[in-house]
Amino acid sequence: MSHCGRHIPPPLSRRAMLSRCANGFGALAMTSLLTDRAFGGRLSPERGDLGPGGLHHPAKARSVIFLYMDGGPSQVDTFDPKPRLDREHGRPIQTKVEPTQFNNVGNVLRSPWRFRRRGESGIPVSDLFPHVGACVDDLAVIRSMVSNFSEHTNANYFLHTCHGQQGRPSAGAWVTYGLGSESEDLPGFVVLNGGLVPPGGLDCFGNGFLPASYQGSVLKAGQTPLANISPTEPTEEAQLAKLDLVREMDRDVLARVGDHDAIESAIANGELAFRMQSAVPELTDLSGESPETLRLYGLDAPDPHTRSYARQCLLARRLVERGVRFVELTCPGVGHDRWDQHSNLQSGHEDNARAVDQPIAGLLRDLKGRGLLESTVVVWGGEFGRTPMAQGTNGRDHNPFGFTMWLAGGGIRGGVIHGETDDYGYHAVRDKVEIYDLHATILHLLGVDHTRLTYRFSGRDIRLTDVHGSVVSPILS
Amino acid sequence: MEPFHPARVASMLAIALALAAPSGAQEAPPADDPQAIAFFETHVRPILVERCVSCHGPEEQKAGLRLDARSPVFEVGGDSGPPVLPGDPDGSLLIEAIRYDSFVQMPPSSKLPDDEIARLTEWVAMGAPWPPEPPAQGGAPNGSEPFDLEARSGHWSLQPAVEPAVPPVGRPDWPRNPIDRFLLARLESEGLAPSPEADRRTLIRRATYDLTGLPPTRQEIAAFLADDRADAFDRLVDRLLSSPRYGERWARHWLDLVRFAETSGHEFDYDILTAHRYRDYVIRALNDDLPYDRFVVEHLAGDLLDRPRRHPTTGTDESILGTMSFFLAEGTHSPVDVREEMRTRVDNQIDVLGKAFLGLTVACARCHDHKFDAIGTRDYYALAGHFQTARHQYAFIDPPHRIDDRVLELQSIRSALAAEFGPGGPAEPGPPPLREGDELFADFADDSFDAWYPAGQAFGDRPTRPGDLAPDPDGNLSRLEPGWAHSGAIAPRLQGVLRSKTFEIERPFLHVLAAGSGGRINLVVDGFEKIRSPIYGGLTLGFDRGDAPSWVSMDLSMWHGHLAYLELADGASSNYTGATSSLWPGDGTLAVALVLASDHREPPGPASEFRSGPILDRIAGRTIPEATASLLDHYRRVAGELPEPTLALAAAEGTGIDVPVHVRGSSKNLGEVVPRRFLEVLDPEGRPPADDRLTLARRIASAENPLTARVMVNRLWAHHFGRGIVASPDDFGAMGAPPTHPELLDWLAAEFVRSGWSIKHMHRLMMTSSAYRMSSKTRPEADRADPTNALLHRMNLRRLEAEAIRDALLALSGRLDPTMFGPSVPPHLSPFMEGRGRPKESGPIDGDGRRSLYLNLRRNFLPPLLLAFDFPTPSSTRGRRDSSNVPSQALALMNDPYVVDQSRRWADRATEGPRRPPGEVVGGLYESAFGRLPTEAERDRAVRFVRAQAEAGRADRDAWADLCHAIIIAKEFRYVD
Repeated sequence: MSHCGRHIPPPLSRRAMLSRCANGFGALAMTSLLTDRAFGGRLSPERGDLGPGGLHHPAKARSVIFLYMDGGPSQVDTFDPKPRLDREHGRPIQTKVEPTQFNNVGNVLRSPWRFRRRGESGIPVSDLFPHVGACVDDLAVIRSMVSNFSEHTNANYFLHTCHGQQGRPSAGAWVTYGLGSESEDLPGFVVLNGGLVPPGGLDCFGNGFLPASYQGSVLKAGQTPLANISPTEPTEEAQLAKLDLVREMDRDVLARVGDHDAIESAIANGELAFRMQSAVPELTDLSGESPETLRLYGLDAPDPHTRSYARQCLLARRLVERGVRFVELTCPGVGHDRWDQHSNLQSGHEDNARAVDQPIAGLLRDLKGRGLLESTVVVWGGEFGRTPMAQGTNGRDHNPFGFTMWLAGGGIRGGVIHGETDDYGYHAVRDKVEIYDLHATILHLLGVDHTRLTYRFSGRDIRLTDVHGSVVSPILS
Repeated sequence: MEPFHPARVASMLAIALALAAPSGAQEAPPADDPQAIAFFETHVRPILVERCVSCHGPEEQKAGLRLDARSPVFEVGGDSGPPVLPGDPDGSLLIEAIRYDSFVQMPPSSKLPDDEIARLTEWVAMGAPWPPEPPAQGGAPNGSEPFDLEARSGHWSLQPAVEPAVPPVGRPDWPRNPIDRFLLARLESEGLAPSPEADRRTLIRRATYDLTGLPPTRQEIAAFLADDRADAFDRLVDRLLSSPRYGERWARHWLDLVRFAETSGHEFDYDILTAHRYRDYVIRALNDDLPYDRFVVEHLAGDLLDRPRRHPTTGTDESILGTMSFFLAEGTHSPVDVREEMRTRVDNQIDVLGKAFLGLTVACARCHDHKFDAIGTRDYYALAGHFQTARHQYAFIDPPHRIDDRVLELQSIRSALAAEFGPGGPAEPGPPPLREGDELFADFADDSFDAWYPAGQAFGDRPTRPGDLAPDPDGNLSRLEPGWAHSGAIAPRLQGVLRSKTFEIERPFLHVLAAGSGGRINLVVDGFEKIRSPIYGGLTLGFDRGDAPSWVSMDLSMWHGHLAYLELADGASSNYTGATSSLWPGDGTLAVALVLASDHREPPGPASEFRSGPILDRIAGRTIPEATASLLDHYRRVAGELPEPTLALAAAEGTGIDVPVHVRGSSKNLGEVVPRRFLEVLDPEGRPPADDRLTLARRIASAENPLTARVMVNRLWAHHFGRGIVASPDDFGAMGAPPTHPELLDWLAAEFVRSGWSIKHMHRLMMTSSAYRMSSKTRPEADRADPTNALLHRMNLRRLEAEAIRDALLALSGRLDPTMFGPSVPPHLSPFMEGRGRPKESGPIDGDGRRSLYLNLRRNFLPPLLLAFDFPTPSSTRGRRDSSNVPSQALALMNDPYVVDQSRRWADRATEGPRRPPGEVVGGLYESAFGRLPTEAERDRAVRFVRAQAEAGRADRDAWADLCHAIIIAKEFRYVD
């Protein structure tokens, strides 16, 4: 029985102790983190059962791009067509209605958008996503997602951390904790803030009880993409001279107090911070990208929100290229309350989709063209879906009982549909996929067994997937 | 199919027991009918193997259930009892689950094909034949070890702390007190020697940061160096312990344990109103060296003490502030499942109680008996009852002289008036005419608040009676109708709340006959206090109709079966109806006569048929005799000058609630009801159960409790030595770290109790040991033998906590504002701090120079500089912070505008006044930041640096600022050796 974590025998080696830094060796662990090549990860090395490359099994991908659709896009208006909604439009829904966030349940509401079969696979995608629809043969569309929460904040925490309250590590933090980063001068978990911070705030990207080194670094659009990344000195020389002095002082302190690991790694981090000052501006400088690339993403689109999200998608590719492990994109603010269309479904979803459709398709194509798609898992979806009946007359309320997400890229079988909702698109009825399963699958693609990526906290070996989760094998290539 | 019912669980458990008994009254499944067995083997077992056994078999036993052998299926069962009742498909959980119309739906991913459901149903109907098995296969139905409280209670931390003998040592000259003897004896047994004593500058820096979180000033260093008495260091410790900065420093450590924040996070990050009063309470308690057992009692039951402590100057109730710790957690905005929200809240409260005071992970026993510790699920729900019983209130904490005494005076004048003017008016109303389907919930004609929990003075101590008078502001006298709970009867300025008993909502409507302006009527469902739309908007009714009585109604049909209580509030309650939370103003009045629970949407008839209104008529001022008129003038003056009450969020006692065990943590699968009590393993034998919160608090704070003293001395130790004797300070259970020095821990715990639970005594003891004075310098040989320094062969090097780093900068720059207490400074909002609930305006970048613990801690907008240095997410008890090493720390010190600004101020301060030689200035900078003077080489290097920066074009002032900044970035600044 492995309910509340396993009872691991006492660690034998220093390295093994370091891997369990929850029990008091945080500073030491970080030292080894830094001295290891490529910020080595912490996949239970004490168990000695790792395969080649230090993974649980061969990886299909090495990076993740999570296109987070804040607010909850509607499944029945995007990837899960339901003719019954057309037939019963305007009539009361003929099934038990679950409690909803706004308790303002209207009649069945048909989708305002037409669905078309697309690609060779013929998977239907609505006219909200013509560009993504053209890439459908690369997507595994999961129509049977379920979540445990109907409120944004709980659902956001749950989607990101598999726990409905604040305080657990985000998936990006877990992945970076497990695998480290391949970038020498960028953090391993980067959040590209498109303009909207989701309900629940920055803690959706937090490190929870993991060491702070695994927290998501939020990169904003604009002059200063990362907090404290711009030197305050008037010239580079002025800062260099200052840091040279610091270096000499730090050498002295080691001589005075002895070779403390904590101080040594603080020194190393100072060096890394210095390099980040130039690596981050280099990252966000798009002047080296070809005009074709810029057009592919939609950086020349008429809609400023499309251009803004296009830039974020292009940055995502550049981050992955540089070895960043986990990239998450938040949505641009298009003038509606995210994808959360409690009313005015039509204009809200149209504006949201217009902002992200071409950039996402551009990202998939660009990754593919550069051979990066096969080593990158791209995940699309929100914290829940929306109700098939109206809220009021022209909106949809939250629906965690059945909604759609899709995956593409390394290790994913493209052009498949997994799972099914009922005739209304309300509840998942076949091959339900829980948020735990989603994360188990992503970890699996990265070469990580989700049951073996643990961290000792509060008397338990805690996992991203808690005590749940199984890999969604049918969507694997 | 009927819904799952707790009674059925109980009966199924009874059946399970009967089956286990040798006589076996229940009909056993046929095991010898070859045809039946063949049906099972061909049609049933394959389904179980293919569909069920991967989760309910030898590898895994989800919900404690196995479906691969006879005994677990029919006898032992899972958490909900045996899944199959032979011959009774409708009564078998297995069938219920596969039909997908129960709370358990199996298999979870999708429903079985209809023919498989039919086959399994048929199999159960025919008596569930299953062939006999050899015992080996049928055994071990449940993969985990069975819960054996007695065996588990043998764990070391649950044993009474027997005071150990202080051991002999080989080097009697080293120990200064018993602590040293314990440590040295252990070191000697490992062939290790303690490190030499650190120099005095190191010691004063170490001690000052430890106790105050600030660096020693140059004057303090000079005074210490000049003190050549033998007990100079002891005196230093005493001086630091009596500094008000001590309480500020250690309060912050405590705040980590109670996940202190001043907002509730979630979607809109509402303020937790009056939270700063709790922070100030902790500071005062520590500075006053409040005995820790008392501190614990106040945290859990400060609202229930007969003689609460009072604030030294304002006289407000101090003890009750401890209970605010219940409510400092995250809270959900408009939860769709309000019961689940209540459970989440209670779970967090139990988690904090368990970890902070007892070092036990009690919350692990929510879904099953604890996997490793002596904590059963029943223990969890016994505590859950305590927390569900405790309510949320804004307590009136003023000393009696401020409001209560004046109200007494007003009341005596009203009595005199009533006597003078006689009864007049009608007698108390008779029982109201009700319809079938109306239920009288409250009728204030009963002349008492016995069925209510009153808070504050507005409603007085009873409803209105015949003859009651109220002087109104216009100089007249109002004659009051009897039978109203009336918040304006004494004085409109008074605030108060009447809370009803807790009841189960059975009828869909609530009708309240009320009058007044500005009051609120709230229904608190499952303890949920963030009452607002969507969903909850209908549970708060504002009332603004003046003196005319009318009905107001609530539609409760959504909340059928929930537990709730009613709040009749004139002020002193929270208002979540806007974008931010606030307190409802208390300047109006609310009068309530009747409350009906009803099956009817409409109230029973025109309000005027039930009451004429709180005011019957008026006695004109000009008709009032002179002597009485002057009494009335006095009344109006006193009533008009009544101050606003001082309010603080706190616990309040409510109707006792006992909670059933939630099998597997599920609210839909309820087991037996557990009466409120303390943890069984810690409850002293032969005493009555701790079924009230005060008794619970006293049991936790008792010296007989083996954990409380141990856990606290270990926390103090961990902060002084960089690591606890138990390295997992919040977990003294089987999964926690065992103590490195168990006897020392027990000795300290005993000494703590002996000292009257004096925290300062323990600080003094630990800090005046030889161990505390050791150098932290590494010693290659000893470090190899004791690589984690678990034996404390030298002092540990420590990095300053986030707050100490920020505060030290203020101290160096001279910007530190030593003001204590009070509302927090609004947070400075960087462009990276975005999201819902972001305050409209940013606070000052330097927090007005206030210490970090006075910065407003907003869950969704925590200060980035503090977060970079491991400020913990305030989600639950966090007794040990990380000390991580990340580039964002270096970036913050290099480029954060606050740091740069403080460097500049520091440079200006160090160079102001008459011009001094640069080397002297450098000496001052080093001493302020590092507690030591620079070497000759360091001094020269710094002077050269300033000169070079100036020569490279930096203004003189900038060059000095560059030096100060470099000192701050240097590691020596943030490490204490």
